[in-house]
This record gives sequence, C-alpha cells and structure tokens, in this order.
Amino acid sequence: MSSLSGATLDAISLLAGGDAQLWGIIGISFRVSTTAILIAIPPSLLIAFLLAYGRFPGRRLLISVFSTLLSLPAVVVGLTLYLVLSRHGPLGDWRLLFSQTAMVMGQIVLCVPILVAMGHSALQAADRRAWETARTLGAGPLRAVLTVMHEVRFGLFAALLAAYGRIIAEVGASMMLGGNILNYTRNIPTAIALETSKGEFAQGIALGIVLLVLAFILNGLLHYLQGKGRFAV
Amino acid sequence: MSSMLNLQFNNLCKRYRRRTILVNLDITLRDGECTLLCGSNGAGKTTLLRIMAGLEKPDLGTIDFGFGQMKWRRCKKTLQEKIMYLHQQPYMFDTSVRKNLAYALPSGLSNAECSQRIDEALEWADLRRLATAPATNLSGGEAQRVALARAWLRIPLVLLLDEPMANMDQESRLRTHNLLRQLKDQGMAIIITSHDTMQFQSLSDRQLILKDGKISIELSTNQAENVTAFPLAQTSLHDTA
Repeated sequence: MSSLSGATLDAISLLAGGDAQLWGIIGISFRVSTTAILIAIPPSLLIAFLLAYGRFPGRRLLISVFSTLLSLPAVVVGLTLYLVLSRHGPLGDWRLLFSQTAMVMGQIVLCVPILVAMGHSALQAADRRAWETARTLGAGPLRAVLTVMHEVRFGLFAALLAAYGRIIAEVGASMMLGGNILNYTRNIPTAIALETSKGEFAQGIALGIVLLVLAFILNGLLHYLQGKGRFAV
Repeated sequence: MSSMLNLQFNNLCKRYRRRTILVNLDITLRDGECTLLCGSNGAGKTTLLRIMAGLEKPDLGTIDFGFGQMKWRRCKKTLQEKIMYLHQQPYMFDTSVRKNLAYALPSGLSNAECSQRIDEALEWADLRRLATAPATNLSGGEAQRVALARAWLRIPLVLLLDEPMANMDQESRLRTHNLLRQLKDQGMAIIITSHDTMQFQSLSDRQLILKDGKISIELSTNQAENVTAFPLAQTSLHDTA
C-alpha cells in the first residue's frame, strides 16, 4: 500500500514537474489519436448517412457488419495490419511498420466502426422532415446532409467522444504497429505496459492518471451533450 | 412571381404494397389558384402532395411544366426547387426563428440583404418578438407562421400545405388564413388538404375530392358554397369524400 501511495506521489510530481519524456509520450498519444479520428470522421459519417437514408441492396448486411466490428479486438487489428505492412506483406514496400502512420492506420480501423454504428443510430433517429424541409427550402444534397447532421449533432458528438476514448486507450494495435519506440511511437498505453513490466510504477501511474482524467472529461462531455440533446428535441 | 404557371401532373399512379393509393390521377395547377383537396383519411392526399413536391416517387405518371411531358425522376430536382411542401406539423430546425428564416433565403445575398429580408419576413408574419426564440419551442400556430414566412422568402411557384390548421386555436387560424391569402394574392399557386372545407372556402377557387385514388369531384367555389348551403347535398358530398 505504501509503495502504491509513494508511486502515486512520484507520479504527481512527475506530471507537475513537466517531465519532458512523460509529456512527450502524452503528446504523441494525442497527436496520433487526433489525426486518426480527424481522418476517420468524414468517410464514417458519410457511410452512416448512406446507411440511414439510402436504400440499396446489402444495406442491412452492412449495418450488421459495422455493429459486429464494434467489438473488434485491437490486437486483431494490430496483427492484421502488421501482416499487411510487414516487409513481405502487400504494402511492405511502403515501409510504414513501426511508424506513427501505421499507428494512425490501426486506430482508424478501430474507430470507424464506432463512428459508423453510433452515427447511423443518431441519424436514423433524426426526424425525416428535417431532410425533406431542407430540400423543399432549396438546399442541395450536401447542404441537406449537413443540416440533418446539425440536427443530430449531440448524438454525433457522442459517437466521436466514444471513438476517441477507445483509440487513445488501446494498446494492442499501437504496440504491434508502432513498436513502442521512445520519442517516436511510444504513446500512453504502450508506455504504461512497458513501465509496469520494468517495475517503474511512477511513470505508469502518472500516465494512467492522464488517461483517467481524459476519460472523466470525455464522459462528462458525453453526459452534458446527451442532456442537451434531450432538452433540445 | 415568375411567368404564367401551367403545371400538369398526368396519369399519376401509386401503390403501397397491395394497397392502391392513386390511379391515373390528373391535376393541373395555375398561377394564383388556390385548390382545396379533400378526401377521407388514407385517400392519398398527403401522398399526392409529396409526389408533387418531388419527395415521393410515383409508380407511373408524367409531369409537364409547359415544355412537354417528363418522367417524375427527370424533373424531381425541379419539383423540389419550384414547389414547397409544408408538413402538417412544420419542421423547425434546432436553432432560432431568425436562422430558420435565413435557411429559406436564396444564396448570393449579402449579409445586409439577408438581415433586411429576414426582418421583413418577421414583420410580415408578426414574428418579431420571437426572432431570437428557439424555433423548436414554438406553438403549432407560431411554427406554421414561421413555415409560411419561409415560403414568403423563398417564393415557390406552388405551395402545398398538408392540414395547415389542424389543432390550431381560432386566433392562429385567422392569422394563418390571412397569411395564406397574401401569398395567394402574390400569385402563388396553393394546394391545401383539409377535412374542414368551410374553413378554406373563402380562400379556395376550387375543391377537389379524392376518392378511390382519383379526383372524383371537382367543384368551383360557387358550386362548393351551394353544396354546403344544402345539408342533404353536403351529406352526400361528405359520404363521397
């Protein structure tokens, strides 16, 4: 118990003292995950919209596929992309393995199903009259799509926060695709795994605190937005 | 208002699974003409309006804007641009009344022009005190006035209203009636569906009664007034409807 409290105090002093290595790891984590989610948002929302408003063969199957992919294990994504990006894989010539780009790719694969499935639910719950009113008021298809998305913005923000929460805390894909290289691909979850295996609990706890604070902020935002969404209807 | 309107919908057919809604229905719309469309529940009034507004595809039928017969699919975009459909409960975007009105403005206007046009629309529909209110919190009558103000800003060739005065109090009905009268006087062709023919008699130029997927009776306002003057005839009319 005393070692835990001691490690926690050390962790807080590391965070407060602005430890360069620690904050570097935090920076890489946020940079990689933010890049991944920004790339994933436009196609995911477009797919979600097509699934909610389009009528085409295989639509229901696609919805089931994306719902199933919600529970896709991160290490399976890591393993699959590892095989694709490794020297003898189909994209081996791109030499992306053990880079931040590879980590971004893995995180995109992980967050797209969340954005699509939750985005689809939010858009499907939207009032059909929103689309029809937009069109009858002269909006082109793109403006009408953006209007409907604005109407369900709280649901879409919830999808975004859930996806971000998932990818910033995943360890399997980042470890396999990034290789946990210090100052390059070491992010919060892979650093926690490494420091814990070395018995260096202070840095692990410090990074854990950052993740917990982030989870708390994301959940707080989620509850706030869900509340706003309920009253806004 | 643009040039003379002579918009024809010909041979419209629509089925929902095994249920026939519209059968070879023809209807012509003209500038400044107000048509009251009556019929029992499920007669196909709303379906007809939605097809005319380009929101629902008919199984068969052609549309003639005066340039020859065209299939619905080919002129769907034109229908959506030229014809405005107002739902029974108009949809209000989740923002202020002012921004709801701004949505109806054509693109290319400067900020000052937009602001001026919106102010005029607020004045026209007596919505000035609600300008910054959230549009989703409006009463049914107020929302209907916002929807009509959007039509006033957009100036469509045809305005389609689905039961515009359902669940409205007397004051709201009067206000809505006045606004519709002004839109009609501007030359806008209007179609109103309603069960209450008396309410729109002074506004409408003709009444169409939809039955078995077709327009079974077409009455001018004078004929309609005579029908409503004779209780027996009115009963048979309502039976038909």
